[in-house]
Amino acid sequence: MSRGARDDVAERGPADADRKRTVSTDRTLRGLAVVATVVTALVLLLVLYFPVGLVFAEAFGGARPFDSFVTTLTDPFYTGVLAEVFARPLAVGYHVDNVLSWFGGVSVGLGGVDTPPLRKGLFGFTAYQAALSTLASVAIGLPGAYVLANFEFPGRRTLRSLTIVPFVLPGIMVASGFYAAFGQAGLLNDVLAVVGLGPQQLIETNPLFVVILAHAFYNAPLVTRVATAAWESVDYRAVETARSLGANRRRAFRDVVLPQLTPAIATGALLTFLFTFLTFPIVLAIGGLELATVEVWVYHRLTETLAFEEAATLAVLETVISLGVTYAYLRYESAQRAASPGEGPPRERLFGRARDATPSRLSGPRLAGLLDARRLAITGYAVVVFVLFVGPLAAMVLEGLTDGSGFTLRHYEFLLQRQAAGASFQTKPLPAIRNSLLFAVATVAIAVPMGLVVSVASTGEGRWRSLLETATMLPFAVSGIVFGIGLLRGLVFGISLPGGWRFVLTGAVAIVAAHAVAAYPFVVRNVAPQLAGVDPRLVESARSLGASRVRAFLDIELRLAATGLVAGAAFAFAISIGEFDSTVILASDVAGDTVTYTMPVAVERYLGRRFGPAMAMGTVLLVVTAASFVVVDRLGGRVERG
Amino acid sequence: MRRRAFLSGAGSVGALSLAGCLTQNGGGGEPSGTLTVATYESFVDSPSSSPGGWIKENFEAEYDDVTVEYVTPENGVTNYVQRKQQGASVDADVYVGLNVDDLVTIDATLGDDTRLFAELDRDSVPNASHVRPELEFGDPKSRVLPYDTGYISLVYDEDEVDEPTTFEDLTSPAYEGTLLAQNAQSADSGQAFLLWTINEFGTDGYLDYWRDLQANDVRILGSWWESYSAYLESQRPMVVSYSTDQVFANVDDLPMSRHQIGFLNDQGYANPEGMAVVEGTGNVDLAADFFDFMLRGETQAEIAVRNVQFPAVSDDQVDLDDSFAQYAFRPPEPVSFGYEELDGNLSGWVEEWARTIASN
Repeated sequence: MSRGARDDVAERGPADADRKRTVSTDRTLRGLAVVATVVTALVLLLVLYFPVGLVFAEAFGGARPFDSFVTTLTDPFYTGVLAEVFARPLAVGYHVDNVLSWFGGVSVGLGGVDTPPLRKGLFGFTAYQAALSTLASVAIGLPGAYVLANFEFPGRRTLRSLTIVPFVLPGIMVASGFYAAFGQAGLLNDVLAVVGLGPQQLIETNPLFVVILAHAFYNAPLVTRVATAAWESVDYRAVETARSLGANRRRAFRDVVLPQLTPAIATGALLTFLFTFLTFPIVLAIGGLELATVEVWVYHRLTETLAFEEAATLAVLETVISLGVTYAYLRYESAQRAASPGEGPPRERLFGRARDATPSRLSGPRLAGLLDARRLAITGYAVVVFVLFVGPLAAMVLEGLTDGSGFTLRHYEFLLQRQAAGASFQTKPLPAIRNSLLFAVATVAIAVPMGLVVSVASTGEGRWRSLLETATMLPFAVSGIVFGIGLLRGLVFGISLPGGWRFVLTGAVAIVAAHAVAAYPFVVRNVAPQLAGVDPRLVESARSLGASRVRAFLDIELRLAATGLVAGAAFAFAISIGEFDSTVILASDVAGDTVTYTMPVAVERYLGRRFGPAMAMGTVLLVVTAASFVVVDRLGGRVERG
Repeated sequence: MRRRAFLSGAGSVGALSLAGCLTQNGGGGEPSGTLTVATYESFVDSPSSSPGGWIKENFEAEYDDVTVEYVTPENGVTNYVQRKQQGASVDADVYVGLNVDDLVTIDATLGDDTRLFAELDRDSVPNASHVRPELEFGDPKSRVLPYDTGYISLVYDEDEVDEPTTFEDLTSPAYEGTLLAQNAQSADSGQAFLLWTINEFGTDGYLDYWRDLQANDVRILGSWWESYSAYLESQRPMVVSYSTDQVFANVDDLPMSRHQIGFLNDQGYANPEGMAVVEGTGNVDLAADFFDFMLRGETQAEIAVRNVQFPAVSDDQVDLDDSFAQYAFRPPEPVSFGYEELDGNLSGWVEEWARTIASN
């Protein structure tokens, strides 16, 4: 708030009672803003930068600080063909020859393009599967945004709320769901058998394909969500103008709508790439070691073999790559002109006869036929989405309701009985539900102000802004495992202080802090672009009419960014409910009566020999979170309109 | 390294303030206080079928003033290794559920100066004399007492494949695309199977064997449960598992034809589980009483059935449940590596293996 110095303008105005009251509230508000900023900085320092720094410091523990990086970068196992480049960076001619001879080996034949083998290395493979996952997520997610933004149908709002649900599902549960749905004895094969088709072996024969589908399961809804929000605020008057000037539908879409959607699609793609670049539970569960990513390697080094230096080196490299991608994106984003919020496209009715839904000026049999083709495509898309998203979830719910012999309620009975008679060292369902909801509400309460503070701090121009924003995006770029281990070694084990004291942070406070740190970047990513898009002339006029800077911010900028704030809050809620890696580490250390495990932790603990109860608990998680999202979204809708 | 020394110095001061863990056993009198037992999740988490609840109940019934409290640290013993490394206190008196490889990892990580587990006075545990010698860990610092053992074997569906009898069978065309194994980095059973192949082919030959297995389309999953549930779903007709598998199959009423045990070369890799006293605990005497209780005949029989593992004491000391005796198989020739063979080798073997499997 660099323009804060001008705040005293308000105090010199007419001294009536109302004005005085406003000034004193403004002072309080300004005080609050300062407190929020300080608290945000402290939380970030203590719960993010310190623990992550602790792990990263291990990477520099060798005889010479950068030895471990040289070793890693020049190892073909990690960097593939690039290892030679890292080993002999100055031998440019040699590398050029290599590239040329590789291209010399490319042959184009009837069977397509044939290329000589190219060793990708662990990093190369990780980026490769992340790129494929991103493509798949955008391809599956974007049509969803189109349908949600352009059509009206019963349940549209609810469906829009539910797009966030996959986000909260623990990876291990999704993997189980994919097995239950697409495995050899899975739901899909049962259905295919009814139709008379033989069993397919999707997971067996093409695990990479299934891993990418599972990544799309998580991230396509994310793409849908951000793209829908953007589509709904496209300024459609411009489309009408373009149409009235003679542009056809396709042309108007390409020249007017698409440019306004691109930043949102790019955001979805960037987040998908970051998440899938740092992926590990899905890969480990479906792909196994053969599809290992860098993160899988980090995970084993940190938790099994305790080879910290190697793990930390890989983690630093991973983070450098992620932050590089983030920085590039933020530079791109700041170059985009933020669109002024509009009303979005007029929604057509999806059901009913096409003629009824068609505006009268677009009549004629040819157009109606075209529209029907469009609806046909939407139906096809709905089937694909249904199989991909509802399949694993339905399979999971069914697993919770059946045993080998048929329908049963005994898995739910187990949960009830565990709740009633479980010993203190056993995991009970009710505290898990209570903790999940409690932590989620607390996370929203902390992450939203934090995100707002960071958004305001990083609103500005140019290179420095992008750098600062990149730094605040660190939670996206650091893997969950590194974050978790950092918290474990930094906060749970404690920091030693002079005089033999130890500062130890565990329990609910630590979990909420960790969740808030993981969640606030979502608030920033939703709010910052909207803040940047506010017309500065609006703020200027408010100031010239006597409003203080804080008042102008609250009444104008915040109102205009309310949609982003609500979206960010929903994400913060989702992150908290679904978070597993650091929760399990922070929760396991609590002894006595104040248990702090959450629903995903309970699901993981029930998995083992008790598949049924684990899936029953997973169903509980699903129902509780789906219900809360519908509530959050409805409340949010009120805020957005208010 | 200086930082570590500082941390551990500060840590011991911190540990003293945890007054709840310090208890005094009067010489000769009835022991009293709380014994905190650290173990793995499945040892305690099911009241009807895991051993934890039974052990707590019966031990407390015998020692009136004693309470047994379980803790299940995330990632097991490596959690405590890291605690030690960072100078934090370890909130347990004994640890139940150690493998030989855990000891090797502990020593490789903590070095000689920092100790997680204390040397054990075997004379204070009379029943320790019944432990079968072949299950001893070979620990030079004698910290661990074995309390049960499993044998890694193959479990196969006899309706789908013939019994595999040699390692070479698994790389032959008849067994292409049939085997489910586990990641040796994260699963005990996976690591045991890897060590078994090293025992068979030597350090020069095992990677070639695994390349052949990969060429024959072995599928390697993250945990024992993941691979076993894939097996239960009939994704593949053969899985690396335990020779006690039929005990579960019997309890769950599953067809025995789908749970045949295959011992390659008439061998099975023994994976004994042990218990140890945490260094610096004030409950050494009570820990010894607990260990003695763990190795008593009735307890051993109960652990066998509930943990579905073989007892660690000699046969004449245990009266095993009939169903266990009927469905649990011992390999004709148990093989395993002791501490000495694994020390300095284990992490390299596993690393090379992982790189071979993941090479992309």
